[in-house]
Amino acid sequence: MTQPVVDIQNLSHVYMQGTPLEHQALDQVNLQVAAGECLAIIGHTGSGKSTLIQHLNGLIRPQSGTVVINGIDVSKPKVDIKSLRRQVGLVFQNPEDQLFEKLVGDDVAYGPFKLGLPLDEVRSRVHWAMELVGLSFQELRDRPTFALSGGQKRKVALAGVLALKPNVLVLDEPTAGLDPLSRKELLERIRHLNRAENLTVIFVSHNMEEVAQLADRVCVMANGRAVYDGTPRQIFGNQELLRQHHIGTPESVDILYRLREQGFAVNPQAFMPEETASEILHILKHGGGS
Amino acid sequence: MSAEFELTRNITIGQYLPTGSIVHRLDPRFKLAAFVILILAIAVCNTYVGNLFALLMCVCLFPLSKIPIHYGLSGIKPAIPFIVILAILQLLFYGGIADGGTVYFEYGFITITSESIRLVLVSAMRFVEVIFLSSVLTLSTSTTELTHGMERLLGPLEKLKFPVHAFALIITIAIRFVPTFAMEMEKMMKAQASRGADFGTGEWWRIVQRTKDMFPIIIPLFNVALARAEDLILAMEARCYIPEAARTRYAHYTAAGKDYAAIVLSLVISAVMLGIPW
Repeated sequence: MTQPVVDIQNLSHVYMQGTPLEHQALDQVNLQVAAGECLAIIGHTGSGKSTLIQHLNGLIRPQSGTVVINGIDVSKPKVDIKSLRRQVGLVFQNPEDQLFEKLVGDDVAYGPFKLGLPLDEVRSRVHWAMELVGLSFQELRDRPTFALSGGQKRKVALAGVLALKPNVLVLDEPTAGLDPLSRKELLERIRHLNRAENLTVIFVSHNMEEVAQLADRVCVMANGRAVYDGTPRQIFGNQELLRQHHIGTPESVDILYRLREQGFAVNPQAFMPEETASEILHILKHGGGS
Repeated sequence: MSAEFELTRNITIGQYLPTGSIVHRLDPRFKLAAFVILILAIAVCNTYVGNLFALLMCVCLFPLSKIPIHYGLSGIKPAIPFIVILAILQLLFYGGIADGGTVYFEYGFITITSESIRLVLVSAMRFVEVIFLSSVLTLSTSTTELTHGMERLLGPLEKLKFPVHAFALIITIAIRFVPTFAMEMEKMMKAQASRGADFGTGEWWRIVQRTKDMFPIIIPLFNVALARAEDLILAMEARCYIPEAARTRYAHYTAAGKDYAAIVLSLVISAVMLGIPW
């Protein structure tokens, strides 16, 4: 890996330090993300995922260890935090809660205005960002935000971050609480941003289908440590690891493991739905059960 | 700088610290009554020595309840501006309106007398004492216990048609949601900061600008609060909550010797405070 965009070395973080309620959220985490990569972070509630991603745009400063984003060292006290936040766009969980302007276009324009850009540049960015997430600029920019559906609101919030034109997009459970259709569409959009717009994407997810579809690489967190780092194929093919960290599996992987328990010779690393289907077809044609 | 957004850390209301000390184990009704007695005594007492004695007693409460003293001290920090402004106002204006005391300094409308200095010092001490007391009370009593205790103590008012239960419920909900909204606000601040917002960095005299800076937090926070209120109503109605219905109680308290001792102790401390003539 040449020159990672995100370089995290020995990062530790303790909440409420010096009180009886202190809690070690991160413990010696090492993580590198290359430009254009799509990384999924998975792990249980309280495993430190949210704390980790908040380090990426300087919302939390490193207590010990270093975080370097595109050559910007976040641990330096005099770091230009605003330019860092321009490079790393962070979308929180349920980002639709954060909309505050009356009109959709105004809300997306908040970030660019804060950057102090001229009006026509702001306008073109809003246009660009809205179209990118699949919202029609012409139709929706003057729509009141409260009149949108949940899925649309989330897209507006995503557009609000994209309008900053970040290099790295960080998403905390981007599809949680969405209906299946909006979920699917949003995933498509994120994939498009990663593949076509060449954005580095880091996302936290509990949905393994999503991880299987989207991620190039998966980082498994447990008790504040990054315990495993590999491709979805390696992780879903490793039943030991899945059991140990109580990681759910996509249904396609589940089927394969069950078939294997029944004595069929299948390759559990074939986790994409099409691959699973062809494994099953193979069994149907050639048999091979016990 | 790294604690920029750690709002929840500074909120001590509703932050219960279970150390299992004798103060924690007091019957909440009696504990509340004892603290009310002490606070009333502090409100009345205006002597130097009386307040010093009260201050000492308040400090002693911390080891007694096994709560680190810095919890009380960190409660004082946000109150310092109020204490200072109050002190300045009292120092400048009290001497002019109150009679008596030796006049130390007089210029125009400003009169500083021994009485105004006494008021300044005594008020500052009172502030600290009340903060210490309320910190110990909330840190040693869970909010449920606190509201149970309050509901029971206010019980007699029911005869005067005072809605004691509704009142206790309002207080419970209000206290319950302080940390929730603090977390919600923390999240909102972080989300908007990620979009390039900055808070409180403008010059302090540009009040309009600084107020406008808060809109991206305040407006979503109101939305969230209203949504949560509706959820709460649904959850309560789903469990057949009827405000005026007669209800039995889950928690029963029986007073023991230590509870009566707490009342007696608070009365003795109050008597000493008020009895000291200087």
